[in-house]
Amino acid sequence: MKPKTQRMVRIVVLAIHATAFVASAQIPASSQRQPIALVNATIHPVSGPALEAATLVMDQGKIVALGTGLQIPPQALQIDLKGKHVYPGLIESHSLLGLTEIGGVDVTNDYAERGDLNPSVRAEVAVNPDSEHIPVARANGIALAAVAPTGGLIAGRSALIMTDGWTWKEMTLRAPLSMMINWPAMRMGSDDDEASGQQRDRARTRMDVLDKAMEDARAYQTALESPRTNERTPRTDVRWEALVPVLRGDLPVWIRANSLLEIEAALSWAHRHRLRAVLVGGSDAGYCTDLLRERGIPLVVTSVLSLPDRRDADFDEAFTLPRRLHEAGVKFCIAAGSASNIRNLPYHAAKAAAYGLPKDEALKAITLYPAQIMGVADRVGSLEKGKDATLIVTDGDPLEITTRVSELFIQGRRIDLANKHQRLYDKYRQRYQPALP
Amino acid sequence: MHSSIRWRTVPSILVLLWSISWIWPVMGQTDPVLGLHGNTPRVFALTNARIVTQPGAVLEGATLLVRDGSIEQVGTGVTVPPDAVVRDLTGKTIYPGFIDLYTDYGLAAGTTDGKVNGATHWNSCVLAQRRASVLVAQDPPAAEDLRKAGFGAAVTFPQGGIFRGTGALVLLDRRRPNQIILAEDVAQAMSLWYRDGRQYPVSLMGAVALIRQTLLDTQWYDEAWTKFRQAGPGQTAPETNAALAALCPCVRKDRPVVMQVADELDILRVSKIAQEFGVEMWVVGTGYEYRRLAAIKETGLRLIVPVNFPKAPDVSCLEQELRVSLDQLRHWDFAPENPGRLAQSGVDFVLTTAGLRTRAEFLAKVRLAVRRGLPPETALAALTTKPAEWLGLSPILGSLQKGKLANFVVTDGDVFAGKTRILETWVGGDRFVVTQEPDVNLRGQWTFVAEVPDQRVEGTLKISGTEARPAVTLVVEAKETKAVKVTRQDRVLTVSLPGTAFGCAGWVRLTGIAEDKVIKGHGLLDDARRFTWRAESTAPAKSETAEDAAGSVPKAEFAVVYPEGAFGRSTPPPPPEALIIKDATVWTCGPEGILSPGDVLIKGGKVAQVGRNLTAPAGAVVVNAAGKHLTPGLIDAHSHVAIRGGVNESTHAVAAETRIEDVLDSDDINIYRQLAGGLTTTCAIHGSANPIGGTYAVLKLKWGALPEEMLIRDARPGLKLALGENVKRSSDRYPNTRMGTVEIMRDAFLAAKDYRRQWQTYRQQSQKNRNLIPPRTDLRLECLLNILDHNMLIHCHAYRQDEINAMMEIGNEVGCTFDVFIHVLEGYKVAAEMKQHGAMATTFSDWWAYKMEAYDAIPFNGALMREQGVLVSFNSDSQELARRMNTEAAKAVKYGGVPPEEALKFVTWNAARHLCLEQRLGSLEPGKEADFVVWSHSPLSTYSICEQTWIEGRKYFDLEEDRQLRVQVAAQRARLIQKILDESHKARKDQDTTPEKPAHSS
Repeated sequence: MKPKTQRMVRIVVLAIHATAFVASAQIPASSQRQPIALVNATIHPVSGPALEAATLVMDQGKIVALGTGLQIPPQALQIDLKGKHVYPGLIESHSLLGLTEIGGVDVTNDYAERGDLNPSVRAEVAVNPDSEHIPVARANGIALAAVAPTGGLIAGRSALIMTDGWTWKEMTLRAPLSMMINWPAMRMGSDDDEASGQQRDRARTRMDVLDKAMEDARAYQTALESPRTNERTPRTDVRWEALVPVLRGDLPVWIRANSLLEIEAALSWAHRHRLRAVLVGGSDAGYCTDLLRERGIPLVVTSVLSLPDRRDADFDEAFTLPRRLHEAGVKFCIAAGSASNIRNLPYHAAKAAAYGLPKDEALKAITLYPAQIMGVADRVGSLEKGKDATLIVTDGDPLEITTRVSELFIQGRRIDLANKHQRLYDKYRQRYQPALP
Repeated sequence: MHSSIRWRTVPSILVLLWSISWIWPVMGQTDPVLGLHGNTPRVFALTNARIVTQPGAVLEGATLLVRDGSIEQVGTGVTVPPDAVVRDLTGKTIYPGFIDLYTDYGLAAGTTDGKVNGATHWNSCVLAQRRASVLVAQDPPAAEDLRKAGFGAAVTFPQGGIFRGTGALVLLDRRRPNQIILAEDVAQAMSLWYRDGRQYPVSLMGAVALIRQTLLDTQWYDEAWTKFRQAGPGQTAPETNAALAALCPCVRKDRPVVMQVADELDILRVSKIAQEFGVEMWVVGTGYEYRRLAAIKETGLRLIVPVNFPKAPDVSCLEQELRVSLDQLRHWDFAPENPGRLAQSGVDFVLTTAGLRTRAEFLAKVRLAVRRGLPPETALAALTTKPAEWLGLSPILGSLQKGKLANFVVTDGDVFAGKTRILETWVGGDRFVVTQEPDVNLRGQWTFVAEVPDQRVEGTLKISGTEARPAVTLVVEAKETKAVKVTRQDRVLTVSLPGTAFGCAGWVRLTGIAEDKVIKGHGLLDDARRFTWRAESTAPAKSETAEDAAGSVPKAEFAVVYPEGAFGRSTPPPPPEALIIKDATVWTCGPEGILSPGDVLIKGGKVAQVGRNLTAPAGAVVVNAAGKHLTPGLIDAHSHVAIRGGVNESTHAVAAETRIEDVLDSDDINIYRQLAGGLTTTCAIHGSANPIGGTYAVLKLKWGALPEEMLIRDARPGLKLALGENVKRSSDRYPNTRMGTVEIMRDAFLAAKDYRRQWQTYRQQSQKNRNLIPPRTDLRLECLLNILDHNMLIHCHAYRQDEINAMMEIGNEVGCTFDVFIHVLEGYKVAAEMKQHGAMATTFSDWWAYKMEAYDAIPFNGALMREQGVLVSFNSDSQELARRMNTEAAKAVKYGGVPPEEALKFVTWNAARHLCLEQRLGSLEPGKEADFVVWSHSPLSTYSICEQTWIEGRKYFDLEEDRQLRVQVAAQRARLIQKILDESHKARKDQDTTPEKPAHSS
């Protein structure tokens, strides 16, 4: 008996070590090799009503079938999800994921380039696939994240990445996604107040820089598109080169602006330069929903979990912004922002739901709507045949904190949900285990 | 040697309240005469005047006799001596000269700064030894400005510093300081908010601590020197400190302190200091006193009140309006009533010009205050008798009586009404003309006759506008011609006007010289031909000042709420005698677990009973909570809400003497917002910039209450310590490493032990030697002694396991427990050691990676520490997060599988236990304080909404009431904005039509 027990102990120990090894490595999943059928699940396509005891089949990274009473391909790996729920992978639409590791340690931060005009910089090329933040985020169902630079007035080009892959190239789903603009802080100048007058002039100077950039880029575009001779081929300017797709309307500008005055100015600027615009932030958007709706400007709400900007505001002003946008017919999605805690994205949406946004809209605001606003709704954001098999399995409503995410598939690849936090938890639990005999 | 009082000439007949020296101002006694002696007689009889000798005492047709700078006689039956120069003041009024107790005359900021040498205080903000009488410069512009506003004397103080030095009372004439100083060292000036760059103190709590320690040091200094001198040789002499020496009269109550503050709650703060040290304090108000009138009245402090009523906020468009808060709008509406409300409540106050953009506004503002409820007699007293009385100089100043200084004001009417002008201000018997009265009045109607070549032009000349800037219209044959340019130089009037009335097409120019009722002049036609003209007065205009703009008195629109502004309440929420919450799912957080459904009975602010099917006593308020969840009020063990003036005194590594209770801010709107998230109690605590932060305070979020009422006074006090990256970040002070941090902690505690021994020795030996110099009371070490004596808890900010271990080791060495580690993100690594030491933990649910020491933070931290028997809570450290602590608790369920009921204790009972308040708070059990929350769903659900928050049986938040308040906020904003627009548009319209400058048109 004794040797056998020892052997078993050894096996257990080995198993633990093996798990620990696999967990700590978090090997990116290889591409889907066989069809997978999720059966007996409650499936929430988001684009349509939930399906009870339903089946979802994915193959070669795509959803190939979805419904009840489906024929399951014989070679498929069947996963029984009785009592479980399937949702689209969650989409974070405004983050620094992979661009920062430790906020307080400057050398680990790669999101803010110097200078006012950085249209050429690309977020995806600085995404660190081994960032510890990525597995932490995906463990709670974040399958996709827009990563956006922040430095200067024109901050650079964002990208939409998947939260798994060996390299940033593998991870990138769409790049460039948008041109990020930081709208300058503004104040309505008052004639009898010197300080406000100065601030108005400062803002005007900053806006002049933006206007000039667009004019210069326009000149570059004109030169580029005119017949060329050896003498007349324009010399390269990587800044304006990056803005040409913006001027052509191929690449939208995402403008970060919050106060009413800034939003109005930003939208009028985008209109003047004939740009496709998305508003980011927009904490005062509730004051100008008509303008947003008429112009068809979608909004990336980045601040549901925040204090009101003004003393007199309703305490729940930020909580109710999504509801007010919804009621006014403005297109929006909800983002968590930053990097370390985008795992809490669903709870931003949940707060909006608690304060009046219909629950299904809250869910859409972190799945289908961001996909639509980013122009990738043909690939992700809902569970539909032909879309990427990017989805999560949960034991309940993902908007509830107590719900656990048990599986994440990205393009049919089954993703390792282990992460630094789980690893340290497992490690230090060992410390307190009674010593093995 | 301590006293810097310099007795000079003190008439023995005067008993002065303050021991200040004063002198009659005289011509330079020691100055050599350069050139000829000037000896103009200074005897004046001002006759036929209306004399207000003091508030409420008026003599009509009276005479004021002034001889050599003082009042020889005043009254109606005064015989004018033959040597007097007589001035007939028929129609004029004489008031006592005003006194401003708070100016920077001759000492404006920047003029007296610079390094102070000698035996100074270690802290450059303690400059108590400075004396205005030594530093003051001649300041003719300030003197003139003040005289124009009716002031004849003012107290001037050195600027800069927290202890600034003593003020001098000066006469506002043109002479050198030697001749104008009436009294020296009348008071010590202080400021609660002065900051000297990056030096201690940089926070309000640091300033309070510095003030307390300095006053304690002064008491010690006084005693130490007295004993040293009595004892003779043998003891080591105390240090010499000019600042402490200068403060001795203040702690002996021989000299008042004038304290500058920044808001109305500061007044309550400084009153505690005044009480603690028995200091006579006059507080320089801010104009916001109406906001906490009753509490301010209760302090009994004297106030020096500004009339700095704000101009209307810019609400010209929505974008601008959004920048303005309701409390700013309301302040604009209330401010002019501040002096009146102070008067009505019986606060002892004087008025000052301080705080105005220009002193030229002063009288207009005082008149506005009078129209808005300040009784004119109180206003006059606040400018004359009161300041004189406070200074102890009533015998020479403040009223017009025989023997007093001839400081007075001559006006052409009621000084507090209409557009009365100050004509003359007399200072020490010298006359200063403020408004040059024209000796001929031009305004009115005149017949006009011009002998123009070939014709005679007859008509009427209408002169309007002001005497200084008249406007002229010529009416000939019912046709009006307006002059385009009019100038007046004394008696000479020049006018340009279109020549139509004179039968020519070009411009006609007139010059006239006015006599009593006639203007005689000459003119030029457009072809340069000359003519003569003459005008005779037919209907002189009434005196331009006599009009009393009495009109309607606009009252403030709304009643004061607490705190002022949006969401304030007019009264505290009423406490029902009995209250029962029925049929809720009750999360007791006590041994009863969860009752579903359950009832809770509240009586007298306490939980009386928890159970099923309880019967409500007759008259009880019943809250039907079927389908709802009921939990104890949430408790945040680490919060910075309701703290004013900085949470870090980062300048010194050890700042144990700073106390959050000194700087509570009951106006913080986040109190209300956090109530709306179910939070009822917070540990208001320092930041983590230095190893030893200071004493925290435990608060109930009683929105609308005073700071003192929010404070849980009898909670066991606690000390904030901090470790790691934040404390070692200051490059200009020790420590810069975790090693150094450990040393500074150990050193501080051991120093406290030495300090205790020092006192023990003193207590033994002083029995025998009564002249033994006592040790100095050191607030910093006193606080640490409380830790060693187990009278205080330790809450220690920590991140990494190494520093947690190091602290517990020090605790074991010096014999104290590190009761609670804050943040303690690596607590899971040393949970067993913490358990053994007896440490608890308050942590973040899931924050990580924002700095290096947070890189190993895991959301399982709370659960893992709990598994090892450490008592754990989650805290917010964030004004925003504090609004949703319930869902933070849910993260303990998600990460580590803590049972829901236990998870909720992370934000209730466990947090109460950290503060040693678990006997009173944290669960719903009989006898506990009735702090509870009604939720729409399970408190752990993200969909849950806080519907009601109750503290001690009073409802401080209610979702429905909140909706009503929003409507009220919007309505009040709209009303006040319309009022502002009304006033500003009307004012603009008036401006457009004022004939200030004649329009240049043909």
